[in-house]
Amino acid sequence: MPRITVSRRAVLRTAGLGAAALAAGCTGFATTGGGGMVFLSTQFRPVDEAQRFRDLLARTISGVSYVTIEEGPFAGQVRSQVDAGATRIGLLGGLHGDLAPLADGYLEDVTDVLARLGDHRWPADYLELARAGSDRTWYVPWATASYILAAHQDALENLPSGVDPAALSYDDLLDWAVAARRAEGRPVLGLPAGPKGLLHRFTQGYLLPSFTGGQITTFRSAEAVTAWEYLRELWANCVPSSTTYDFMQEPMESGEVRLAWDHVVRLVSAPRQRPDSWRMLPSPRGPRGLGYMAVLAGMAIPKGSTDPELARRTIEALSLPRTQVELLRSNSFFPAVAADLPDDLSPAIAMEAQAVRRQQDAEDAILSLPPVGLGEREGEVSKVFQDTFRSIVLDGAPIRSTLDGQARVLQGILDELRVPCWAPDPPAGRCEVS
Amino acid sequence: MTIDVRDPVRPAPMLPPVDVAPLRRARLRATGVQAACVAVSLFMALPIVLIGLAAVSSRAALAEFPKPLVPSEFALDSLLSFLRATGTLPALGNSVLAGLYAVFWSLVVGAPAGYALARHAFRGKDAYQMFILLVRALPIVVLSVPLATMFLRLDVYDTVLAVTLVHTALALPTTVLITASIFVSVPADLEEAAQVFGCTRWQAARRVVVPLALPGLAASSIFTFVLSWNELLGATVVTLGHRTLPAQVLTSLAEASVAYRFAGGFALILPALLFIFVMRRYLLNLWGTTLR
Repeated sequence: MPRITVSRRAVLRTAGLGAAALAAGCTGFATTGGGGMVFLSTQFRPVDEAQRFRDLLARTISGVSYVTIEEGPFAGQVRSQVDAGATRIGLLGGLHGDLAPLADGYLEDVTDVLARLGDHRWPADYLELARAGSDRTWYVPWATASYILAAHQDALENLPSGVDPAALSYDDLLDWAVAARRAEGRPVLGLPAGPKGLLHRFTQGYLLPSFTGGQITTFRSAEAVTAWEYLRELWANCVPSSTTYDFMQEPMESGEVRLAWDHVVRLVSAPRQRPDSWRMLPSPRGPRGLGYMAVLAGMAIPKGSTDPELARRTIEALSLPRTQVELLRSNSFFPAVAADLPDDLSPAIAMEAQAVRRQQDAEDAILSLPPVGLGEREGEVSKVFQDTFRSIVLDGAPIRSTLDGQARVLQGILDELRVPCWAPDPPAGRCEVS
Repeated sequence: MTIDVRDPVRPAPMLPPVDVAPLRRARLRATGVQAACVAVSLFMALPIVLIGLAAVSSRAALAEFPKPLVPSEFALDSLLSFLRATGTLPALGNSVLAGLYAVFWSLVVGAPAGYALARHAFRGKDAYQMFILLVRALPIVVLSVPLATMFLRLDVYDTVLAVTLVHTALALPTTVLITASIFVSVPADLEEAAQVFGCTRWQAARRVVVPLALPGLAASSIFTFVLSWNELLGATVVTLGHRTLPAQVLTSLAEASVAYRFAGGFALILPALLFIFVMRRYLLNLWGTTLR
């Protein structure tokens, strides 16, 4: 009977499709490359950077595959896997701000790894950070970065006479920006004020500490008002499309920007392509000194790691001064351990290293840290600085009342957390905006 | 053979002059329609062409300022190195798999629901329709962590199946609502007529209703495929080593250099375009037989 034949064929076809869908759809194709232990990290996410780090990792140790993820899903992944008691990750990599919030029960204690490596090789500040306010160490400091200025030769020609570009003050920077704008007929200074730009680090770690000597405690001081007035003036001499810049290297390469401040990793591609036309300079200094911020990345082992032994060996291999210099060459992140930089670095990396070193070694240097111990609320503190910038500089709101209003928001966050202040503010019992 | 009086070679002198105004109007309208079509096509195609051009231009040509419309130098290296990066091609395969499975399962589960909504009046039908939309009202961020935990316990975590389940759930509301409105527009008389001629209920639905509803099913499958193709957060949270394309590389595109952004953008557009192109002939039925 034809009717039965048709329906049988239809049934078979549907069943076949369903079975095929289920069979092939169950796993899919592996996207980790070689397979092996998963090293989940929030760092080196762009395709080319990830590829460079994977090459470095393959040369260093075998059986580890590097998987990148954004900061938000990173915490979600680790928490849900550890909570479910089925961790699929071997090793974690991230900034201090990504790892510290996981210290409450999601990370293994790595104090012994550090002890075996000899903890004298890391600066005391970094080790303090890695303890995340407890008496045990939760991650091994891996690499550091900072923020510097980059200037094109054309812009250097407009530098006001008698000013040393390697020892700028904030007033010199403003004069320079004005002179360059007059000479070129358009503004040439760019700041990363885009949606993913890091301008809040500029106000948090550079501008405010340089003018006020503090980050949080002096948030609404009279000196802070001066600092914001200064930023308003500086902004008037910035490229107007600065509000769209996330990474300064792109407008630098295209020639829209001749003078820029940003994270070293987000600057380095321009001088890498044309090392003769660019110079990397330390950040400027203000009335209180040269405020600068250090960014610290670390490696941690999640609770229930798939291969704790391999994870420990990977940490040890990546902590060797030799591999850390390799990391500087390939991904522009600086060694976290004491390492002698070789002379044969590429010109861009050498310039970058020199500028960062000058910044750190300046007599009046003021080290700032990204907020410590705030855990997942750190984003809210960043938002206070972003909102303040937006109101005062972009919308022209009165400085005094804006600072008072945002100080209340900031104090509200700090009151709930009851944490001590971090550098450069004095480590009092509880952090308060005075 | 008769002589046509309108023959232009030998016009009849006695006839009144031909009124060409309607003809001109029609021609004008046709030109206007053509111009509008060209404008709409340009609006859709130009960005794709520009991305395609940028994807095959060299890094130096991309950094030129001011930028020319057509790049001065062509090179395939950024596109190739993007495709060669670890995991890009497997991730592309996973994305295609997840998209097709999501289309399949959302139709298998959603179309009968749409049919029921269209053909039957039942208590709480309106509330049910609203309730279906609730899935989309909850942000995926809220759902994703419990989902990941659940998948870990069920041992389907880190598979394309997990992504398919999430995407099917996300696509069901649109599938149900689109198919319901399409089944409403297929007259119930036709189905009854088929039953009169000896079809069972199931046969009537399969042989009469489904072919007539095909355009709507195609439209909803495009919705589902594109949703699955673009969905990022759910796919990032429920997979680790078997990721879809957005989770594998496209998260980082916003932070990559311009060359990689264009290369990745181009790689992302192509398969989705291909899918829409294949589904297009079903979509065109939309202005065909049943739906007026």
